[in-house]
This record gives sequence, structure tokens and C-alpha cells, in this order.
Amino acid sequence: MRPKKLRSWGYSTAAGIVAGVFCMTLAQPFAHAASPVEDPMGVIRIPKGAPVQIGAYWVISGPDTALGEDSVRGAKIAIADLGDKVLGHPVKLNVEDDQCTPEGGQTAATKLAANPNTVIVLGPACSSAATAGAPILWNAGISSIGTASTAPSLTAADRKPELAGFLRTIYSDAQSGANDGKWLYKEAGAKTIVTINDGSPYSSELARVTGESFIKEGGKVLSAEAIQPTDVDLKPLLTHIATLKPDKIYAPLFVAATAQLLRQVKETPGLENVEVIGEGAQAAGALIEATGQAIVGFKLAYPDVSPDAMGKGYPGFLEKYKKMFGEAPISGYHANAYDAAVLAVKAIEQVAKQGDDGALYIGKKALHDALFTISFEGMGGTVKCNQYGQCAQLKSAIYQYVSADPATFSIGTNPKKIWP
Amino acid sequence: MAVQIPEDRLKIARLSRISIVDVLLWALRIGVLGVVIAGTIGTLINGRYGWTQWVDFVVFGLTLGSIYAQIALGYTMVYGVLRLINFAHGDFMMSGAFSAFFVANAFYRSGFLESHPVPALLCILITSMIVSTAVALLAERFAYRPFRRVVGLAPLICAIGVSFFLQQTFRGMFGSSIRAYPDPSWQRATISFLGIEVQAVELLVIGLAVLFMIGLYLIVQYTKMGKAMRAVAEDGDAAALMGIDVDKVVVFTFMLGGAMAGIAGVFYCFVYKQVYFYMGFTPGIKAFGAAVLGGIGSIPGAVLGGFFLGLVESVGPALFLDGLGIPGPYQLRDVIAFTLLIMVLIFRPNGILGERLGKKRA
Repeated sequence: MRPKKLRSWGYSTAAGIVAGVFCMTLAQPFAHAASPVEDPMGVIRIPKGAPVQIGAYWVISGPDTALGEDSVRGAKIAIADLGDKVLGHPVKLNVEDDQCTPEGGQTAATKLAANPNTVIVLGPACSSAATAGAPILWNAGISSIGTASTAPSLTAADRKPELAGFLRTIYSDAQSGANDGKWLYKEAGAKTIVTINDGSPYSSELARVTGESFIKEGGKVLSAEAIQPTDVDLKPLLTHIATLKPDKIYAPLFVAATAQLLRQVKETPGLENVEVIGEGAQAAGALIEATGQAIVGFKLAYPDVSPDAMGKGYPGFLEKYKKMFGEAPISGYHANAYDAAVLAVKAIEQVAKQGDDGALYIGKKALHDALFTISFEGMGGTVKCNQYGQCAQLKSAIYQYVSADPATFSIGTNPKKIWP
Repeated sequence: MAVQIPEDRLKIARLSRISIVDVLLWALRIGVLGVVIAGTIGTLINGRYGWTQWVDFVVFGLTLGSIYAQIALGYTMVYGVLRLINFAHGDFMMSGAFSAFFVANAFYRSGFLESHPVPALLCILITSMIVSTAVALLAERFAYRPFRRVVGLAPLICAIGVSFFLQQTFRGMFGSSIRAYPDPSWQRATISFLGIEVQAVELLVIGLAVLFMIGLYLIVQYTKMGKAMRAVAEDGDAAALMGIDVDKVVVFTFMLGGAMAGIAGVFYCFVYKQVYFYMGFTPGIKAFGAAVLGGIGSIPGAVLGGFFLGLVESVGPALFLDGLGIPGPYQLRDVIAFTLLIMVLIFRPNGILGERLGKKRA
């Protein structure tokens, strides 16, 4: 074939492809025209036999992996319990990594929002990722259900309008902080504390709320300190804290900084016998691995996961967890993720309509509104959302690490429940 | 005949040459100096810290500084010889530290680290040095050498690429979790002196770091290869014309830098007791700052910059900010350190000891 002829043949083929793609694009609205659903925020069409795509973003890399991976597992069990199907369609869980950072949350949410078939999103586990990611999703009309992101501002009465699409099946730190402050004063006998946060929404808001609660009880917060999550040298800070002579140090941090804190506090003159009290994000096997022997004796506040405090189905759920993943839960938010997935599916079932073409149609606003009307007995307790998206309540407990062997990690035994 | 210009006209001419940027820079200098002086006076009047605490701050700063200094040496040597900012240098440190962790862990489990600290320490150090050096040499041969004659930003981008490659390789091989470094009892021992308790491991790290840095300085100053290094740093082309094998010198430079990074990695783990794939990034960036502060290309400058940065990070928040009543001053330690770094560079753009090199070249 002569080059000129070959070129013109190439041009014709390219023009044909472009015209084809153009026609297919034009044809899309006609398919939607047959939709049995009208919704001011848009309608998602799931063709017959195509999967219902549920997005998710959790931390699945870095030192806090267990926090996100545990949620992934909880959601997977929920989907498996549904027979992997919703209204006859298979369920597809698209998980993105938010790295437990605002930047990661932004990227993950943008990716999920860019998929026109994302019906609803589960996660994240970190408040910093939720603060950045939830507004992006809601801007695309997608509701999201947090599973371990506990910062009070996410479901506060005065929350920002861009967070209106965010709900959560985990308690708020407004509740846990208040409990922690009370426990520190009344049960632990502390009269003075120093708080340390790492600047993340979770850590700083929790430290603030706990401090306020502690003061309300009659205690004194000697200093509210802040570090960077990546800081390794905490000795100057701890030397400074030692001069204040606190009864306890309250430090709701993540794994990396906690490991350094627990090691270095015991090496700081004046703080050898001062207890560090932590919070939920520190209930992770990865923390034992990162801290070593210094973990033993570390106390933290965490939801009561004893079968009495959790939902009725929780013991059976634990068995399924062990069977599916070959180990006990690696963190403590699997039940909340399970509940989030169930809530999402119940809402989809409530609003989805089948079209004449056999496709499923889901109105985005209708789905969002439905989430607020559903209530059920979940794995973590009763799930019922208030108008600000707060769907779970806290039953708090205090745990203590009793072994430095990462293989012994199991919430309830190591860390062992010591209160109530 | 010289023309006499009236003094008042000279003053006006001088004033007219002062730009708004000059005024702002002076305002910044005075502002920072004011904060430093007011904060220091406030802290000292406040009297919260006794002299034992100040000694503690200084020891922490020297420990951190000695690690920064050792990493900074690798940056400065490579820059001196190749004019390349090797952003992967912190990851060379991570490679060595990570590999040595497995040796240290095995020794710890068998009890050898506890019962025979000196041979165990030597084995750990040698492992780390070998791995860091090997990684540095591989990076030089396969990533940097093809860019040797390339002008522009490509070599720098390549260095950043090598950094990511190493991080992700270690993450892929060993996972992303943080691992606790073995903590034998001899590392937890303290030494008491005049009522001050200092951790033995900190003194060990400072002492050994100084020893290794003196060794490096002697190699660069007095060995044949060291002289060749300095010749290439002065003028690579002229050195090649004089019969110096530039490739060999570059390899030697990476070898020395890699070995120092390996040592720094072990010391970092001794003090901060953690290993993970990202551990080289932050100290690497800080050490780069230290190298620039000391005068990039200058070996004593890198050491000085490292200690300066470590000390400012450790002492700065207590000394400068506590007295001003700023809440949570420790989260601002990097701000203090890098503000002072900028201040030094405004006064001495070539760094503290950078000018000497410039003068020599001239």
C-alpha cells in the first residue's frame, strides 16, 4: 500500500472512531430518559447484571494500616453476609488508600467521585482524611459513612454545609473526650494532666474535649502540647513536661508518635512513673510491634467491645472474622465498618427502582435522605442517625496492654479491659 | 583632579539605592532577633528550667545533631564532587539501618546483643555500612552516572526518583509497619555526673559520631584518594587532565557517603528505636538543610550545620518560645530551626563555612 493511501486510510479510521465515541456519548442521555426515578442531585443507572459499586477509602498503607484494614474486613463480612448481592446485582467494593492524611483523603475521594457509578462511599477511618474527602464526595452528590473518623466537628450541630453528605457509624469524640476527662479525674485519680496532640483533627479535637471535661470535673490541665505526627525526638518536650509535674499525660496520638512517646517517657527524669493515657487509634497490633517492651502497662480508652456491650450478633461476627481472615481482629473498628456497609445497603434497597430495561436506578438525594430514616441493631449497637449524621453512641471502657508480643494483640485480652 | 561630592548628596544616593526588599529583609532580621532576645530573657527570668534540664536539652541536641551531621556529610561530599543534590541519601541511610535491624534483632533474640555488646555493635555497624554503601554505589552506577554530563534539573529529578524507588522497594519487601528496634539493657544505662543523668547510648552516639567524622576528615585531607576528591571538587576537568580517574573518585565519594549514612542509620535506631521504610526522608531533608547551612561542599561545614540544627531543634522551643508564653512551642521546632537557617543564609548566602571554598576557587 502506498504511504499516501495508507495515511488517508488511517485518517478515515480515526475519524470513524471519533464519530462512534461521539454518538455513544450522545446516546447516554436517551438511556437516562427512560429512568423511573427523578432526583435533583442526579440518578445513578446500574445496567442489568452490572455490579452496584460501593466506594470506600481507608488507610491501607503506612503505620496505621491496621486501622483501615480492619474496616475493610468488617465491610467485606457485611457484603458476604448479604450473599454478595443487592437487589439481584453483585456488589463491588472499590477501596482506595487515604493514607490517614488530608492529602490522601482528597486524592482517594476525588478518584471515587470521578467514577460515575459510585453509589455511596464507606469510610474513612481517619478524621483528617474525612475532613478533606467528604466535601469532595458530597460535591459530586455522593454520601459517605465514616467508620472510625471520630472528630467532633464532622457531625457537630454547626458543621460546615459541605459535610452534609457525611454520616458515621462510630461515636463522636465529643462523647469519648467527655468520658475520658471524667475517667481521668474520678477513676484514675488525676488532679493535673498534660495533653499532647499531633495537630490532626482527631487528635487535637479529642485532646481539647478531654481537657475541657477534665477541667469541668475539677482538674487542671497544666499544658496543652502539640507535636508533629512524624516527630521522633520527643525528649525536649518531655523534659519540659517533667518540669510541670503532671499526674498523667493524656496523648491521643497515632502509632508512630505513640511508640516514641511510650519509650521516651520512661527515659525522662521525673516522668518515669507518670502514666500515659491514650485513645482509640492506639488500639492496634502495629503499636505493639512499633513500641516493643515499653507498651506494657499503657492504658487507653476505647469502646467496650465485650459481647454484653456490643450488638447481639457480635460474637458470631467475630467467628466469621477469624474464619475469613485467619486471625482475630487487628484493630477495633470492624463492627462499625460492618454497620456502615449494612446501612448503605439498606438505604440502596429502600430507594433503588428497577426500570423497564431491567436496570437499577438510584436517586442520589433520595439515597442520602434514606440513610437518616433507617435504624437497626448493628454489630456495634443500635444504628440510628441524627440530623447531623451521628449514627452511633459510645459505651466506653479502659484497656491496658499486658504483653509486648504482637501476636497476642486482641482487644479485651491484650489490651485487657480493666474498667468498668 | 578628583571631584568632591558633598556628603549630604552621597547620603541621598546611598539611600536611593535601598530597595523595599532590603527594608523588609532588615525588618525580618530585627524581628527574629527581637523574638530570640525577648524569648530568651523571658525564659531565663521565668526560671522554669534548672541547669540540669538545660544540660539535658544540649545533650539531646548534640545527639540529634551528630546524626544530622553524619548524613549531611554524604550530601556535601557528593555535591562537592558532582554538583548533585543527592536526595536519595536519606534513603541510603534507611537501607543500611533496615538491613542491620535484622542482624540486631537476631542478636537480641539469641542474647548475643545483651551479653557481647561490642562485637554485636561492630557486626550491626558493618552490616549497615555495607548495605548503605552497596545501595549508594548501585545508585551512582545505574542512576546518576548516565546524568553525569547532563545540565539542568534532570539529575535532581533522578535523585528524587531513586529516593522513591528505594522507599517503595523496602516497603514492598518488608511492609509498611513500624518495627521496634532491639533495646538491650546496656543501651538503657544512664551515667550520673554532678546530679545530671545522661543516657549512655546518647554519649556513645555522640562520641562515635565525632570519631567517625574525624576519621572521614583525615581520609579526605591526607590520603591520595582524598586529595583526588578535593581536586575533582575544585575542577573536575582539570583533575582529569592531571591524570585523576574521575570515575574512580566519584565511586569513592559515594562509598564514603554511603558508609557514613550506614553508621548514621544505626545510631538513629539506637536512639529512636524504630525502623520503617520512610525513616530516611525527614532526617535526610534536615541533613540537607544542615549541609546548606554549613556551606554545601564543605565537610567541616556539614558537621557544624548538623550540630547547629540539632541544638536549635532541641534547645530552641524552650529557650526562645517558652518565655513568650507561646502554647505548644514544640510543634514549632522545625519552624525555629529553619527560620534560623534562613537568617544565617541571609547574612551568609554561602553558608557558615561555604565562603572558604569560594575563595579557594577564586
